[in-house]
Amino acid sequence: MDERAVTRFWESENLAGIGVYLAGGGYQAAREALHHMEPAAVLGEVRKAQLRGRGGAGFPAGVKWGFVPASVDKPKYLCVNADEGEPGTFKDRAIMSRNPHLLIEGIILASFAVGVHSSYIYIRGEYEALAGRLETAVREAYEAGFLGGRVFGTDFDLDVTVHLGAGAYICGEETALLESLEGKPGLPRLKPPFPATVGLFGCPTVINNVETLANIPWIIRNGADWFLRQGLPGDGGTRLFSVSGMVRKPGVYELPLGTSLRTLIYDHAGGLPEGKKLKAVIPGGLSSPILTAGEIDVRMDFDSLAEAGSMLGSAAVIVIDDRTPIFEVLKATAGFFAHESCGQCTPCRLGTSWIRKIVQRMSEGERRGTDLETIESAARAMRGKTLCPMGDAAALPILAIISKFKGELAEGLTPSPAR
Amino acid sequence: MIPDMSAEILKKAEAVMARYPHKRAALLPILHLIQKEAGCISPGAERWVAGLLGIKPVRVREMVTFYTLFRREPAGAHVIQACSNLSCTLQGAPDLIDYIGAKLGIRPGETSADGKFTLLAVECLGNCDQAPCMMIDMEYHGRLTREKIDALLGGMGAGDG
Amino acid sequence: MVKVTLDGRPLELEDGVTIFAAALREGIKIPHLCYHPAFPPEGSCRMCLVEIEGSPKLELSCSTAVRDGMKILTASPRVVEARRQVLELLLSEHPLDCPICDKAGECRLQEYYERYGRFEGRFAEAREKREKKLRIGKNLILDRERCVLCTRCVRFLERITGTAELGVFRRGIRSEVGLFENETVDNNYAGNLVDLCPVGAITDGDFRFTSRTWFLEEKASICPHCGRGCAVRLDIHPGFPRVPDTRKVHRIRPRENPAVNGYWICDRGRYQYAYLGEGRATRILLANSGRETVWSWEKALIILVEKIKGLKAAGKLSRLSVILTTAMSNEELFLARRIFKEGLKPGSVYFVDPEDGEADGFLMTAERTANRRGARELGFDLEPPDLDRLSRASDILLIFSPFLAERYAVSGLQRSFQGIAAKYLFTTRRSAVDALVDIILPVCFVPEKSGSLTNCDGVTQRFSRAMEPPGDSCPEWRVLSDLGRELGMRGAEFESPSAESIFGELVRKFPFFG
Repeated sequence: MDERAVTRFWESENLAGIGVYLAGGGYQAAREALHHMEPAAVLGEVRKAQLRGRGGAGFPAGVKWGFVPASVDKPKYLCVNADEGEPGTFKDRAIMSRNPHLLIEGIILASFAVGVHSSYIYIRGEYEALAGRLETAVREAYEAGFLGGRVFGTDFDLDVTVHLGAGAYICGEETALLESLEGKPGLPRLKPPFPATVGLFGCPTVINNVETLANIPWIIRNGADWFLRQGLPGDGGTRLFSVSGMVRKPGVYELPLGTSLRTLIYDHAGGLPEGKKLKAVIPGGLSSPILTAGEIDVRMDFDSLAEAGSMLGSAAVIVIDDRTPIFEVLKATAGFFAHESCGQCTPCRLGTSWIRKIVQRMSEGERRGTDLETIESAARAMRGKTLCPMGDAAALPILAIISKFKGELAEGLTPSPAR
Repeated sequence: MIPDMSAEILKKAEAVMARYPHKRAALLPILHLIQKEAGCISPGAERWVAGLLGIKPVRVREMVTFYTLFRREPAGAHVIQACSNLSCTLQGAPDLIDYIGAKLGIRPGETSADGKFTLLAVECLGNCDQAPCMMIDMEYHGRLTREKIDALLGGMGAGDG
Repeated sequence: MVKVTLDGRPLELEDGVTIFAAALREGIKIPHLCYHPAFPPEGSCRMCLVEIEGSPKLELSCSTAVRDGMKILTASPRVVEARRQVLELLLSEHPLDCPICDKAGECRLQEYYERYGRFEGRFAEAREKREKKLRIGKNLILDRERCVLCTRCVRFLERITGTAELGVFRRGIRSEVGLFENETVDNNYAGNLVDLCPVGAITDGDFRFTSRTWFLEEKASICPHCGRGCAVRLDIHPGFPRVPDTRKVHRIRPRENPAVNGYWICDRGRYQYAYLGEGRATRILLANSGRETVWSWEKALIILVEKIKGLKAAGKLSRLSVILTTAMSNEELFLARRIFKEGLKPGSVYFVDPEDGEADGFLMTAERTANRRGARELGFDLEPPDLDRLSRASDILLIFSPFLAERYAVSGLQRSFQGIAAKYLFTTRRSAVDALVDIILPVCFVPEKSGSLTNCDGVTQRFSRAMEPPGDSCPEWRVLSDLGRELGMRGAEFESPSAESIFGELVRKFPFFG
């Protein structure tokens, strides 16, 4: 595919260094915009491009930016969500590792559009080594005059700070991210109010995913129309798909939205290794409902996957072969969400733990006939009732696994006593 | 200042605090600094940070216990954090974790008797195309095999007397 | 104003009212654990979810404001199912401690289970084992297994006392409420955490295992221990028949009064109730050269009236001295004023009160009686007696204050009283002063009588008798009205006295109290 944007130039050596990035035309879009465009025009272009958030929720970035009140007597903030905790996802890591300056340029453009002068990159604690290299890139940008006072010689100023998390998936949820940044445990906030009006330190705040911001320079450079053409109506651009699991070529693949899952797995990621047959695929990170081998002709975009009863989420594809007991998928899912539950609200704190306890007992050999039913019941108790979206993220995949693989899971369960 | 908090840490902490309009936001970065220096975060350190940021020590304890990467007890000289999530499991992570455990004589969560290694089973590290993957001392190592593990741990003193 | 329907009822409400508050006004009590009207909504327990027509998800009633046209259902099948689900989850890790838990009978989980549950929980795994008897304060015991993490305790200490001792450690199912190292919750409002806790996670060390809640009768009164006059409830065990000495006050809890104490009381007031049963004067005692003889009120009153009339006849009313206290009610002080300042115009009216303490910056005042303001508004100047002058100037001394022994050395009192011919002590407690007077007459504490008190901010609160006084104890207002009547005073407060009629007269003459 030759219309790559975010991953274009990734083959270049030392693209992470500012020199190589500049030589390839990097920072041009930001320089032009700051010199020749109004912030509202930048925002308008991004809105026109129909860039949907690339973190998982898919909320249109331009619309989100528009929620920030135009003039206010408080500072505005941009938080970059580099928490990337969704299992199966590693595309943001790839962007920050291979092409950090693309992200920085995106931050500059977004900040300019919204009126932000202080931006924090919240990067998960496990990416500590990467964060160091990201800080180097930020320093290079400061030294080149692309950050700090008088960005590109204009009267726009912008500070960027890298802020390391400390191991909590929930901090990928935007309000939990804000809490964590403020120096508190990552407990999600009640909404309303929304971060656009009351965010970091109580000030208007935009939170955008790394990949979302990495697309901004391309939108400004090549125009919103071009961006729309790369994608689908109402859903512009490409997606970076993280493919892992039982495939020959796991990695990051930048492809148009709407590419079929089959194409992604077989034409790009090399299909399954010799002797392995496809059993199931998780299309959008561990929070997304699982698909069977018969469902992989689904197109990888927000609406198609939603129609199929799943979701695009973080576009993290995990391929599962027929030698893997589906119980392992259930176990990994139950264990993950119970571990990552922040504990604030009743349904998630108790529901995820209950499910994990049952699954743990089942994995140790003691299985009862009512187990699957009880797990489903606990999952349904969480669904739609939690303070943040993690409740559904924990519930829906579990329900899908059980519903689609009941036969396999029910094997070996003792029949329930007659009631 | 408490005895084991160096002037250097204080200097770094103050530099960090300057990047935020509210002192408390520097709490995560400063806890990282302390753990890097001292290997874990002691009650004395919690008190020190609390005093520095003008918050109560209990607020610091909440942070230290909420986040997985912070330790309240010292760990081994090398901390192995092995991913046990789905993509790594599909590529044989459980077997490798057992292998390391057997090699070092410990279970996940424990530290080897010689104090050289702590083994932890953790959730997705965001390196799934390099599965199975683990972090050792916050450096990533992917596409692991028993041989690679032997080499890595051997280089760190595993199996030495 | 917005127009909504609530369970089919059309309502008109102000902007910004929450669904929860609107429902409460209509008498609909939506179940809740983490919500408390003193704090902003927390939204974590998820018990208060309601259905809003047109909304795909159930919404929190505690934090959702009504909007024009909203159609709210507080008990639809979806809502009831959601409540049952949240309950089942809460109960999954909740120990079946009811038989040994103090909260039984006033526990939200019990109440909601009865209303919305009564199902057999399906949780059949091993429960989390946690600390069950962690002493977190002088009178506070934390049971982490019972805790539902509503965080009311944490938020109270953050927002109300500002002391923020408690925190929530760890996360997920491992979350637990705790303290830093050896710190404790030891501020003057710690006891409120017990009331706040919706379950038996925080229990009161003072109340622990002393009574089942359903044996207790709740009676309203006013705390008499400082000038705030917090509204309180006394929980009184009526006593088991045929078992002596089982009638007693078991605990004191706040009563809501937005104008005085909001939802809270201080620990000093909360834990001081033993005084009601200890060391009481219960009989009229005639001290007769060392031996005590018991009299009746009629007899005592006759003697007293005779003595005063004798003084009046001799034109020596100036040699009648009276010592009052601002612990007395408005009614009592009003009667005292009527008799001793308007009627008899005696020598002097003095006040002896307990020594001031330190105000605590919230509810507790420095003054340690409940009616100093009332006394001032009635025109008293609260002068304490000089013992020598008292001795020289008095032939009859009427003491209505029980505080003499704590403000004056007994030797000084003894010397002073030797110069006074007749001394009558109206008191609630036995003390060293008893041996120095002629007649001891037992009177009542605030919970044992009716009347009104005016607090430091000028708020007048009326109270009714919450419990019977011991023995022959009589309220001071009745004593004074009988005395006044026998001395020839006129007016409804003397001729047809009751706490109400006296209050009526009080307000007529002193509109301030109305």
